[in-house]
Amino acid sequence: MVSNDAKKYTKISKKDITMLGLRSSMFQLGFNYERMQAAGWTWAQIPIWKKIFGKDKKALSEAMVDNMNFINTSPPLVAILLGLLASMEEKRVDRKTISGLKNALFAPLAGIGDAIYWFTIMPIVGGICASFASKGNPLGPIIFFLVYLAIFLCRIPFAHLGYDMGTKAIDVIQENSKIISKSASIMGLTVIGALISSYVTLSLKVKIGSVSLQKDFLDKVFPNLLPLGFTFFLYWLLKKKKVSPIILIVVVFVLCIACSWLGIM
Amino acid sequence: MKITLLQGILLSIFGAIAGVDSYTEALYIFRPIISCAVTGLILGDPITGLLAGGVAELTFAGLTNAGGTQPPNPAVCGIMTVVIAHTTKVAPATAVGLSLPFAMLMQYIILMYYSLFSGFMPSLDKAAEKAETKKFSRYVAFSMAVVGITFFIIIFLSSYAAQAPMASLVKAMPTWLIHGFELAGGALPAVGFAMLLKVLLRVSYFPYLLLGFVVASFINYSNVLPAAAIGVVFAMIDFFNTKQNQKLKDQINEIKENGGAEDGI
Repeated sequence: MVSNDAKKYTKISKKDITMLGLRSSMFQLGFNYERMQAAGWTWAQIPIWKKIFGKDKKALSEAMVDNMNFINTSPPLVAILLGLLASMEEKRVDRKTISGLKNALFAPLAGIGDAIYWFTIMPIVGGICASFASKGNPLGPIIFFLVYLAIFLCRIPFAHLGYDMGTKAIDVIQENSKIISKSASIMGLTVIGALISSYVTLSLKVKIGSVSLQKDFLDKVFPNLLPLGFTFFLYWLLKKKKVSPIILIVVVFVLCIACSWLGIM
Repeated sequence: MKITLLQGILLSIFGAIAGVDSYTEALYIFRPIISCAVTGLILGDPITGLLAGGVAELTFAGLTNAGGTQPPNPAVCGIMTVVIAHTTKVAPATAVGLSLPFAMLMQYIILMYYSLFSGFMPSLDKAAEKAETKKFSRYVAFSMAVVGITFFIIIFLSSYAAQAPMASLVKAMPTWLIHGFELAGGALPAVGFAMLLKVLLRVSYFPYLLLGFVVASFINYSNVLPAAAIGVVFAMIDFFNTKQNQKLKDQINEIKENGGAEDGI
């Protein structure tokens, strides 16, 4: 195999890779159930293929058709994969290798992406910014926006990273996807535990004699026990009873309205 | 407070932009904390926008697109929460509850588009085969225009056109019902957290959830940052331990492979 550095930037420039990273932000354009993100994935790569294949319409058509297959991966991380594949397209590696690689990598990448972005960053940043906003502090939405702007812009260095590392990126993704997901899960769960205690508000009004069930009993035994119990009740419905989230939302409404009517809460 | 026609149009334009963003997941301005703040600014009621954003963001902390599921639409929820709180003067927590039917309506429209946009795929395939990149981009852009226009119409109808019936509906609601919606607004985050737990929770990770819960219940701090910091510490400990274990495993395997022959001597 030709060394990675020897054939770098022969047809595409640094700017092209930057563009590729930016275009990857529109990766979910035309998302549909049949092939998920295939349309946006292909769309993002059109300019770079034009550079690589030049007037070779046949090669361009082959690349487009080949990339219209099913893909479902993490939008904030997809630029790494796009950069990696661009480096291979540039060396004109054969189509089967490229699509094989794409198919091998998109699922682990999706796992890492969900773990980091949805299960870790979102609860932490959302939780902290929401606590600012709840006090009428405009820093809440401003910090949130800046963090996600940074995540948006990270697509550019990610595309370069994928392109520069080339095939080396494959081992890194495959070797580390499990460890990273695990570490992210631990962090995410710690934060979710805190969020349950801080932001699920349930408080009983019931009194037995002059003893308030909430203030004089539950809060003394263990604060926020009710929110924890309620969350686990919903978790049990989701996991064991396979109740859909929409039904759960309805259940919460019905329970809360009933409790309000009965004067329990 | 009434919404003027100009405000209605501005809200709808923002709704269209945030709606497309909720489809592509690029800038995350569709998240309630941002969409509430912007709506508050448009309506000249920034404080309501901030307060509502704090409540609505937490409601959606776990209601995410992770793993290809589609939650009630956060952009619509954010905009309608502020619209309802502003026009009917109910508390933000009540407004979140009342905005959910609108967010669920949009959720079902988007699910319908996920199926419908599969219908574009044959045309996209054809454009790919002929390497017609312009035609390809046009199809993709068209699908997004459809999403944007849908959001524009739905937001215009539900914010500007429906404000009078909405106000009289809220006025006609008895106090126990309004209070019930408020309770639901406080309890709803539990649905999202239960959904996160369904994905993340393993028995061996349970201690971390408990750790976060205990930390937040007993440390009096305005947000979840302490729990997040402790989460990072444990994630790092686990990360290095796993790496170490992997190295040891590799060494043992190596010894086993080489050792077999030597032992025989």
